[in-house]
Amino acid sequence: MSAAVKPLLLRDIDEPGLSDIAVYERRGGYKALRKALAMTQEAVIAELEASGLRGRGGAGFPAGRKASFLPKGDIDKYLVCNADESEPGTFKDRELMQKSPHMLIEGIVIAAHAAGANHAFIYIRGEYEEQARILDAAIVQARAAGYIGRRILGSELSLSLVLHRGAGAYICGEETGLLDSLEGKRGNPRLKPPFPALQGLYQGPTLINNVETLMTMPHIISMGGKKYAKLGVSGSSGTKVVSVSGHVRRPGNYEIELGIPSRQIIFDLAGGPPPSRKVKMWFPGGSSAPVLTAKDLDVPYDFDSLAKAGSMLGSGAIIVIDDKTPVLDVALKTAKFYRHESCGKCTPCREGTNWTVKMLERIEAGDATPMDLDIMASVQEHIIGNCLCVLGDAMAMPIGSMIAKFRGEFEAHIQSRQLASVA
Amino acid sequence: MSPADSAGPGFEYRQELAGREIPRSREGSRTPGWDEPADLEKDPAEVPDPALVDVPAKLRTEIEKAMARYPDRHSAALPALRAAQDHHGWCSPQAILEAACVMRVTPGYLTSVATFYDMFELQPAGENIVYVCTNISCSLRGADELYASLEAEVGERRDITLRHFECLGACDIAPMVSVDHVYYGPLGKGDAKRLVGDLRAGREPIPELALALRATAASELRKEQK
Amino acid sequence: MITLSVDGREVQAPENMMLADAAKLGDIEIPVFCYEPKLGEPVGACRMCLVEIEGMPKLQTACSTAVKDGMVVHTRSERASVAQQAVVEFLLINHPLDCPVCDKGGECPLQDITFGWGGGISRFIEPKRHFRKPLELSPLIAIDRERCILCYRCVRYSQEVAEDYQLVLLERGEHSFVGTFDGHPYVAPFSGNIIELCPVGALTSRPYRFRARPWDIEGAGSICTLCPAQCNTSLTVRDERVLRVLARDHHEVDDGWLCDKGRFAYQAIHVDERITEPMIRDGGLLRSVGWERALAEAVGALQRAGSKVAALAGGGATNEEGLLLSRLLRDVLGSPHLASSPGAAVSLAHWRALSDPALAASVPDLEFAHAVLVLDCEPLDDAPILDLRIRKGVRRHGVRLFVASPRASALDPVSAAKLRFAPERGSELVWALVAALRRDSALEDAARAAGVSATEVKKLASGLRAAGKEVVIVYGEQLLSADGAALLALADALALAGRSGAGMIGIPDAANGRGLREVGVMPNAGPGLSRPTRSGGRDPAAIAKALGNGELAALYLLGVDPLRSYPDGQAWERGLEEATTVIAHASFLTKGLREHATVIFPSESSAEKEGTITHPDGRVQRLRPAIGHVDEVRSEWRILRELGRMLGASIGPDSAAALSADLFSTVDLYAGLTLERLAGHGVRWQEQAAESSASDGTRVASAKLRRPPRQQSGKVLLGSYRSIWAGPEVKASPALAFLAPSQRVELSPPDAAALGLRHDEQVVVSDDHADIRGRVVVRDSAPAGTAFLERELDDNGANALRGPHVRIRSVQSVEAEAAALLAAQQEALAEIEQSEVSAL
Repeated sequence: MSAAVKPLLLRDIDEPGLSDIAVYERRGGYKALRKALAMTQEAVIAELEASGLRGRGGAGFPAGRKASFLPKGDIDKYLVCNADESEPGTFKDRELMQKSPHMLIEGIVIAAHAAGANHAFIYIRGEYEEQARILDAAIVQARAAGYIGRRILGSELSLSLVLHRGAGAYICGEETGLLDSLEGKRGNPRLKPPFPALQGLYQGPTLINNVETLMTMPHIISMGGKKYAKLGVSGSSGTKVVSVSGHVRRPGNYEIELGIPSRQIIFDLAGGPPPSRKVKMWFPGGSSAPVLTAKDLDVPYDFDSLAKAGSMLGSGAIIVIDDKTPVLDVALKTAKFYRHESCGKCTPCREGTNWTVKMLERIEAGDATPMDLDIMASVQEHIIGNCLCVLGDAMAMPIGSMIAKFRGEFEAHIQSRQLASVA
Repeated sequence: MSPADSAGPGFEYRQELAGREIPRSREGSRTPGWDEPADLEKDPAEVPDPALVDVPAKLRTEIEKAMARYPDRHSAALPALRAAQDHHGWCSPQAILEAACVMRVTPGYLTSVATFYDMFELQPAGENIVYVCTNISCSLRGADELYASLEAEVGERRDITLRHFECLGACDIAPMVSVDHVYYGPLGKGDAKRLVGDLRAGREPIPELALALRATAASELRKEQK
Repeated sequence: MITLSVDGREVQAPENMMLADAAKLGDIEIPVFCYEPKLGEPVGACRMCLVEIEGMPKLQTACSTAVKDGMVVHTRSERASVAQQAVVEFLLINHPLDCPVCDKGGECPLQDITFGWGGGISRFIEPKRHFRKPLELSPLIAIDRERCILCYRCVRYSQEVAEDYQLVLLERGEHSFVGTFDGHPYVAPFSGNIIELCPVGALTSRPYRFRARPWDIEGAGSICTLCPAQCNTSLTVRDERVLRVLARDHHEVDDGWLCDKGRFAYQAIHVDERITEPMIRDGGLLRSVGWERALAEAVGALQRAGSKVAALAGGGATNEEGLLLSRLLRDVLGSPHLASSPGAAVSLAHWRALSDPALAASVPDLEFAHAVLVLDCEPLDDAPILDLRIRKGVRRHGVRLFVASPRASALDPVSAAKLRFAPERGSELVWALVAALRRDSALEDAARAAGVSATEVKKLASGLRAAGKEVVIVYGEQLLSADGAALLALADALALAGRSGAGMIGIPDAANGRGLREVGVMPNAGPGLSRPTRSGGRDPAAIAKALGNGELAALYLLGVDPLRSYPDGQAWERGLEEATTVIAHASFLTKGLREHATVIFPSESSAEKEGTITHPDGRVQRLRPAIGHVDEVRSEWRILRELGRMLGASIGPDSAAALSADLFSTVDLYAGLTLERLAGHGVRWQEQAAESSASDGTRVASAKLRRPPRQQSGKVLLGSYRSIWAGPEVKASPALAFLAPSQRVELSPPDAAALGLRHDEQVVVSDDHADIRGRVVVRDSAPAGTAFLERELDDNGANALRGPHVRIRSVQSVEAEAAALLAAQQEALAEIEQSEVSAL
């Protein structure tokens, strides 16, 4: 099986009792933390930068550079772990936290050291109650073992860690929406600048990283940034946990080396679509990514190749849709999701998602003309780039791509419904 | 023991509201208040005066503990609402008032927060709350049909609150449900009936489908390759 | 200043100014909805102001982009226009376009921007949302949720300016709507500002709805004279009627906000209850008469009383009226008895020292000081708009706020420290604070006399010291009347004199209290705080007493009813009863006038008045008439002048402008002012070029302390306050009447428990002489040992009680007692009858 790599994050995932600190330590856990704490803050950042690690939450920003943006000095600084995994199709963080909570804690403490943060929060989506319980127990263990608290392992680093549960809002995965939510407000995104690195949580400098990003850090420290950078391809180093779902025989999380052909993930690992079905289209990076078609199955699965193909790696969630599924159904589900999750703060997103759903509903009901497709495409263009945060774009891009790539199918649907009504 | 006691906290309030029709929009948004004027007979809703609001001791302690965990007490809004909801069965006006009283904020502030998030029940909820993921991945694998059969099974009774939910982050077990915040899936034919039956019988529902018991995809793959 | 290019035009602007504002400097408008600098930081929500900036890949929101030198901006480029048209199209999706029946039509930013920047068509053909409308949001405000474009101005205002957190956004995304908790109305002291903030017709004034269209109305700049805050207003006038009051943005006075009293009490100008004709008491009853008769009546009475007349001024009486009144009394009638504040007279030396420009703080200082000390007053009640200003300083500029007051303050939650002392012990508290600041051993005694622990005073003192040197003290009338020396000692201890950004603002009792004092309506001072031409003037308490015992015969009331507003109602009841003549200028028949006035002249409202008034921070502001006089109302300065003339003296010139000039030349503090210089924004007299220092340097700095307040078993101390809603205008305005206060008896939970009283219970509060009724309000924040009652109610106000201790019993128990007493009496009577019968 060629797609398999020597996994890092999923190496011990099937180890019974891994969520217990003793088992985790027995498997080598928290050694990277000891190593990191013996290093200077700058040295840790240097390793992260050398690794080429890009954020695993969706935006793909270089993780080492992000950590270096926080101002130095003796003020309260915050590290927030974004565990509000809500991008449709994405469930990697859920499994990682459930099975290996200590790896996350270890990564958090290492990142806090790199950023000079003294308060850390894990913002976990409210629906993940089981995982929150596991994390809470792990935090208690880690605190008792001296991995969290004052002068961790005798170093200068002191860190508090609080698990904060969300309550059901996709927008809180957007980093500034998350900050507002963590401050006890509605999770509305904030205007940027100021960026969180300077003015984030409680107006203090804040580093925000995704679960998987943080969980990769212990491995980078262990093996060294340069060695990690050798994994994957240029511009997309390392391994990635990919969530595969939809019309595949074995939906689930697979850790791959970035840069392998997408086909390998969908077919070799996840088993491809059920017998006698074909891949019609697929979201390569969660529902916010423009859809790709069967033609694109050989695109290498990495940040730059997917961007070149007109989509994005996003959160690394592949949703496969087979040839029996009408594009309209997918478009409607997608648009309704974003309408439901739009926070409502900015106009193009609030009204644009709403309008798009109404047009799609009208198309579905058979009360549309091909001109509506033009209007719908134009509405998507009016959303893209004009919103306060990326949620509006996250609907407009996939919907736009569906209209562009499946226009014939939309038109055929409109026409057949018109004919039906005439008859 | 009176029936009210056995039915858990908030029972009477839920009973009182049970007959009242609460409008729902087509998309399932909760309690749209667009058409409702303010009641001019009411006093303005300022920060509740602790001298005038009785807060159950357990709820108070829980909220105070939550406030102490953060550098700014306002961060405890979500934990406080969750605690109030757990205590009263839903985020009733009284529940919000009590949480606001302990947090020293207006009930309006907490209502604004509560209505933003999907997990707060703003109308009387049943004893069990079932979220059905009907987002893309789950619907590709039959979530809409699952919802329909669950709806048929639950029927008119209000003991189970059934809700559409957006992606619950468990597409690997699609179609799936979250029953009182525990994940189960994939649900096949007949599982809807079993789920509702188990809940009404007071049993753990469809226990063998619990996410916690499921092996990872990688291990499945290994097994298959062997 | 930097230079940028906007649409090819060179624009000079301060660096980092927001582009939306900077463009205006080049006469280029960039459309905005959510952006409103008064609400704080931009939020970039509506996306209306998207513009193209060279070198930036995406369009930027002009409201949140700081300008930099050399920036090249295109607000009308193809890309920018497409985005702007898109935003307008999006906004109009759910907007009903019911402009023909919308109050906002004609003065609506959404209309203007749609016309100016919209694409002219909409491609949205789905059904629009339809809701019930309009709905009441409060008795004052209607909400039309169809029209709302979700710009969040109103909810941001409620949360970040008024900080009442009552008006919030509910639900999420396209379901979002503006609302409140569980259908409670949005009733708060400053709620009306959201009407003006709303850029569409979603929030409208219920009293103004459908009263006029923008082309029917005229705007007239004016000043609100309902309280000392003297907010600048713009009156909307149609057919000689005031239909609306809007804020007239003045950063140094009101910051562009109004309280609901100022916004809605205009209704009292045009109500039937208003006195609009002269009246005299005839056969015990007041009846309307012609001007000649009323004036003759007054002149006759004044002639008879001669120097045995006293005068009180208050309300919105202008500086010019005060000047004429003092001339009438001192020069024509030969009486020195003049007062314009209810308390005892401050010594002239202290008053002059307190008026020293070196000690004067301005309103904006409240926003930028290191620390603000609110001392023995409640800004929300006493000068409401200052409450917002103080909050703004705390929220946006990190001002450390300290509150020292007997009663819990609305500002407590945003204060760094608060301290409660016994009612009417303000001067003792100040002496204690002075001692603590000086680390003086006198602290213990003074603190005890103030009814507060020395530790708390020390904490306050160290908090003040730690906050920084620029301290602004806001103090109340009570403190001023009690002991000027204490305030001066405090200013000295904090070294406020001459420090820029530091100083004091005294909030007087009357709207123009400062001006009336400065023009000489004081028992011990003439115009400009000069030595009065006649000495021996009595303060109000002495006037009441002298009227009661016949030493004084007549009372002249210019805009004040002492029975309603002054302490010791019992003494005033007697004084007014015994007075042979009571001449009053009034708009409403308040209790004292209804029962005791012999001649009443109708008062002008501020919308009819001409003259000047002086803000607590020394700003002399100009009142200009916005409407003609209603009915028989005449200029009050003319009435005073006419009385003088009929008494054989010319006390002032025969035109309002000449009278103001007379004022400026008579009152040396105001020397150099002219009406032209005052213009629309007024001038702080302290900022006059002339060295017009009022101080003669006298400082008395020894503490006078009363004995510590004692607790009496079964009784509590009496504290009182005047609510923001206390004026007769509130009750007379139909829209505001629901806010008119009735007596409430505020008790702490332990006191209520000890007295066996429940929240909401009806009680009788009594001292040795009188009793009043009220409703118990148990408040967690009420200090133990004191009951707080409202002053200045039309009836049943706390002024009727003298205190300092009162008994509080439930109405039920009082009635039961009375019934028992009656029964006992009847029994005794029956026994007597019985014995009489048997004696027969």
